[in-house]
Amino acid sequence: MTLLTLVRRNVLHFWQTNLAVAVGVGVAVAVLAGALLVGSSVRASLRSLALERLGSVDIVVTSAGFVRESLADELLDAGETREGFAGAAPIVAVEGFVTHQASGRRASGVQVYGVDERFWRFHGIDSDTVRLDRNRVFVSEGLARELEAAVDDSLLVRVELPSAIPISSLHGRRDDVGRTLRLGIERVLPPGEQGEFSFRPQQGLARSVFIPLTRIQQALEQEGRVNTVLLGVKDQSGDGGVDAIERLATAEAAIRAVATLDDLGLRVRVVSDQQTFTVESAAGLINDATAAVVDSTARASRIDTRPVLTYLVNQLGRDDRVMPYSLVAALDLGVVSNWEDGLTDSDSGTPPVVLNEWAADDLGVVVGDTLAVEYYVWEDEGRLETRGTDLRVVDVVPIEGAADDPTLAPDYPGITEAVDLVGWDPPFEIDLGLIRPQDEDYWDEYRTTPKAFIPLETGRQLWGSRWGSLTSIRLEPEGDLETTAERFRQDLRAAVDPLAVGFVVYPARALAVEASAGATDFGLYFIYFSFFLVVSALLLASLFFRLGVEQRLAEIGILRATGFPPAKIWRVFGAEALLLSVVGSVIGVIAAVVYAELIMWGLRTWWLDAVGTTRLSLHVSPMALASGTAGGMLAAFVSITLTLRSLSPASPRSLLTGVTAESTPTEVASSGWSRAVVTSVALCVLGVGLVLIAAVGPLSPTVGFFGGGLLLLCSLLTAAWVWLHGRPRYHTSGSWTVTQLGFRNATSRPGRSVLCIALIASAAFIIVAVDAFHREGGAGELDPLSGTGGYTLVADTLLPIAHDPSTATGRDSLNLFDFYEPGGPLEDVTLTRFRLRPGEDASCLNLYQAKDPRVLAVTDAFASLGRFSFTGTLAETPDEVDNPWQLLHREFDDGAVPAIADATSLTYALHLAVGDDFVLNRDTDNPIRLRIVAALSDSIFQRELLIAEDHFTRVFPQYDGYRFFLIDAHPERTGDVAAALEDRLADYGFDVVSAGERLAAFHQVENTYLATFQTLGGLGLVLGTFGLGAVLLRNILERRRELALLRAVGFNAGHLSLIVLAENALLLFAGLFAGTACALVAIAPAWISRGGGLPILSLTALLVVVVVAGFSASLGATLVAVRSPLLRALRTE
Amino acid sequence: MVVGECVVLEVKNLSKQYATPHGALPILSDISFSLDGGDSASIVGPSGSGKSTLLYLVGGLEPPTSGTVTLDGQNPYTLPERELAVFRNTQIGFVFQDHLLLPQCSVLENVLVPTLVTGPDPRATDRAVDLIEQVGLKPRLEHRPAELSGGERQRVALARALIREPRVLLCDEPTGNLDRDSADIVSSLLFELHQRQKAILVIVTHNTTLAQRCAAQYRLDGQHLDSTRP
Repeated sequence: MTLLTLVRRNVLHFWQTNLAVAVGVGVAVAVLAGALLVGSSVRASLRSLALERLGSVDIVVTSAGFVRESLADELLDAGETREGFAGAAPIVAVEGFVTHQASGRRASGVQVYGVDERFWRFHGIDSDTVRLDRNRVFVSEGLARELEAAVDDSLLVRVELPSAIPISSLHGRRDDVGRTLRLGIERVLPPGEQGEFSFRPQQGLARSVFIPLTRIQQALEQEGRVNTVLLGVKDQSGDGGVDAIERLATAEAAIRAVATLDDLGLRVRVVSDQQTFTVESAAGLINDATAAVVDSTARASRIDTRPVLTYLVNQLGRDDRVMPYSLVAALDLGVVSNWEDGLTDSDSGTPPVVLNEWAADDLGVVVGDTLAVEYYVWEDEGRLETRGTDLRVVDVVPIEGAADDPTLAPDYPGITEAVDLVGWDPPFEIDLGLIRPQDEDYWDEYRTTPKAFIPLETGRQLWGSRWGSLTSIRLEPEGDLETTAERFRQDLRAAVDPLAVGFVVYPARALAVEASAGATDFGLYFIYFSFFLVVSALLLASLFFRLGVEQRLAEIGILRATGFPPAKIWRVFGAEALLLSVVGSVIGVIAAVVYAELIMWGLRTWWLDAVGTTRLSLHVSPMALASGTAGGMLAAFVSITLTLRSLSPASPRSLLTGVTAESTPTEVASSGWSRAVVTSVALCVLGVGLVLIAAVGPLSPTVGFFGGGLLLLCSLLTAAWVWLHGRPRYHTSGSWTVTQLGFRNATSRPGRSVLCIALIASAAFIIVAVDAFHREGGAGELDPLSGTGGYTLVADTLLPIAHDPSTATGRDSLNLFDFYEPGGPLEDVTLTRFRLRPGEDASCLNLYQAKDPRVLAVTDAFASLGRFSFTGTLAETPDEVDNPWQLLHREFDDGAVPAIADATSLTYALHLAVGDDFVLNRDTDNPIRLRIVAALSDSIFQRELLIAEDHFTRVFPQYDGYRFFLIDAHPERTGDVAAALEDRLADYGFDVVSAGERLAAFHQVENTYLATFQTLGGLGLVLGTFGLGAVLLRNILERRRELALLRAVGFNAGHLSLIVLAENALLLFAGLFAGTACALVAIAPAWISRGGGLPILSLTALLVVVVVAGFSASLGATLVAVRSPLLRALRTE
Repeated sequence: MVVGECVVLEVKNLSKQYATPHGALPILSDISFSLDGGDSASIVGPSGSGKSTLLYLVGGLEPPTSGTVTLDGQNPYTLPERELAVFRNTQIGFVFQDHLLLPQCSVLENVLVPTLVTGPDPRATDRAVDLIEQVGLKPRLEHRPAELSGGERQRVALARALIREPRVLLCDEPTGNLDRDSADIVSSLLFELHQRQKAILVIVTHNTTLAQRCAAQYRLDGQHLDSTRP
């Protein structure tokens, strides 16, 4: 006989109670380990999904413009690229919208890929199985499902027509921004054949179209050119770390080595008859940065430069003689004339102009005459403006030498290649009626030779734009022209960094793995909300352990009587506790896997709105399982052994008689009372303090909520213990009722009663707190300070809209004019426009952490309205406080760009706070630092960051036009407005949704998360009910002789039921009060910040459920009390 | 302990009060007596007179409010808790009215329970078997208490009380729950084993026959102990 034998006997003999303890431990372990498994499963699922959709892609090289297809092979052969990468594939990757021709169903935001056999080989797919005829496409399963499309169905795929010339420059093609392809579905590609290919992680349905590369190149007028090169990973299991950084550096070095000037949109052209060569841009304008590089490169080679800005003016005229549509070159006048005076004619203050002889004759002017010049300017806001100025003729030169140079003008699409003037097709209106026969004669003979020349500075002032103020830069070498030009090409290429002028090297694989960690740490949130469930399970285990120990008090007494020191008795019961914890943990590990699988199933089905994908599955992580098990087991062991401590003060005599200290009348120690009261008050103060501190800043709201809530619960439970322990010295002050007998029973075992109260309080806490966070939508949507800003509709477009629909010409250009007339669908409707830099969704709809979020540009007009509300800002001045949108114009010494984001996205998706920075293009040489200056309160802007428009055009010049709109329309007419806009602007992919529905979609995610957590609260309620029922039943069984006596003296079944119910009610309502009160205090800061307002109805309903469940717990006990043969108990020992 | 060695149990001016919400409740007042090794004493008295309390005070289970209890001059209540437990384990044997056997252990294991305090003792098992044989239950070594009658359980309790060869054997209504025949058997065993071990035997009982078998007889009434030996 050894102690171990005694322990084994104890555990097996009292197997029923011990089983309940082990199950309680098992539940705690299952919940804790299960929560960690959920977190690791979500992360693993997201990672698997992202890597599956990437296929063999490691790094993606994109370009603002289209580049040579052969760049892919050249990249692979450059330097160490072939050692670091498995292969390269050139593709076209653009966004489009797709219409199912037969049904008219549309899908926007579709990924359109132009691919050939190199793409399929790249991914290890036999290209013979994925052959596509010219007018056929593959589609992804998600797109086919959304369009309800099948093989051979026709699709209309519309994509943006790329243009090197910005659409918001004079020669930008604003009205012809897209191309539509009619294609038939060849096959629906499964994920295994890269049907879901995507190099940006997103968990929603993959909506992709695969078009033959040559087909889309032709449609986009980019034959032999692509905008994306994929570099393949050698080790598919590798996903990041130092290797990824090295590979990124290798790819960047390769781009720098092989990109040509053509790839960068630059050209060096030899102009033999002028003995010069010229640097030109495909955009038509050379920006200031590139001009500076050209200049420094030329100086290094000791070559003189002659910058030129040539512009098409509407007319030059004097008096009634007008010369229409003429080219004017702004340059150093000394090149074409001997005139040497400065910028302005010193006699008149008017800028000088040198005319060629033809122009002077045509206008009948001589030196000294003043000309009026009229020209178009395209304003960024989206309108064509006519401006004019006067010029004074200072010289007339023959059309020869430098003055006879048609190459001074850049290539103007629609103009340069025209056979005659009437064949011109510029992107702005011209009056062909003004063209005279002599103009056609000039065109035939001299083509784009400028008719007039002005000083460069004058030209820059008149016609310079944010795109640049030069159309070309002439270089005049001294040596051999061709040799010098070739050398200059190489020097210029070396001086221009491709990564600074439009190339982006994107470490897709590494970023996908990083983003898979998730915007929302599921594991952590499940642990937070499972916390009280774990506590409930541990309380239940402790309760049953306590019940078991109380059942064996006499046994403990005899051990003490026979000389067992308390420490040895501790060891025996401690060993039992450890064994039960281990057994419970084994149960818990198995249950954890089942629990986690159930949660994952729930996320795929009931709670699909929270995650937006059915692709989440259980991944059993040994680390998560081990951590949860160890934590749960430790917590169980500690809580069980703490139960033992409460019994140790009992004397051996008390133990022998089966009475614990708490159930015997003892002299009430005032010091003990004082300590308990002080403890309760201190915990209350600490709890409230924690909640307040979290509300004002230093602590996170989550810590404030859970920590403060826990402390407050402990405070109330301590108070309950004090109250129950201080049994009344007199029975009542009035009549002695049966129900008061029930209440008194609850005070006989204060420890048990407090445990029951704690169980109910824990469940009530979670249920009440979670329900109070529930967001309702709809109310107050027209309020300018609401989450919709008072706007009723929100629209996105695929193709940028340059025209301003608030102007007559804009409406005319957009074919909306008639809709704005009285009685039209757009009467009194206003559209507020935003430029957009596409990127990842930064809202809670995206499970992946957004590394490259969307950015919207806020116009000054929008900012001045002061719409929407803010939860936090960096406002300092009264103006900023009054309208935090003004913060977008704050200047920072370090060059950071001020940005505004939604508070929910900041906290839960981007993990930032007001004052923090978000760095775009983080891993490049050109990072852009956005500084959060304000946080919007529950707004429709949860998907993006917002910056001022002037900052946007400076840091993102390549994103032209407007692609996001907020629409003010009467709520009753939103349907008509949406239909009208979608119809007339279909070519732009104009997609309108209700602003309220957009906001509700964000709320739906949040509410679904809350529903998930409320389920955990429900589980806690089940545990609490079970524990309460067990205690009541145990109390009845212990008091069978008492109840038998009551029956003997005339109490009937109804009286006994009332006694049981009264005890139940006291514990239940005490728990309910404690849990509800603590929850309301803990959520108060969040509740106030959301504008107050509790969902009273749903809260009340939930509390009723808790009450009903709690009363059902007494059913078993009541049945035993009423039905068991209690009178027999009177006769037995 | 060496058989025959002189042992003195001395109780001097022993008093005991319990604290209640209504004030101190006196149970025993100024009780004194002395017993030598081999002596037997019975204590009778009305219910609630404090007989069991006196027994617990003597046995080191509960400290007195005032007065002393010494065994060979050693006052157990001056010992630290750990040594007090050792004192009870080695010097005192208890037999209670409710046998208080561990239901999960066999007869042999129940008798060996006190030996678990000091660790494995190779002679303990033999001694236990011997004691069980002396109380007439050797064939029931592996049986559980649920399989024994009331009298048999009390005999096992008696064997357990003697396993450590205590100097003082305290019995609280050892036959209170037994029928006459079982009571007689247990009583006889009690005295027989007491004689062999020369321990001090103190019995609290309502059984006058049992009481009168003791050399010294006391009555506890009104918080005071009086000798009633004729």
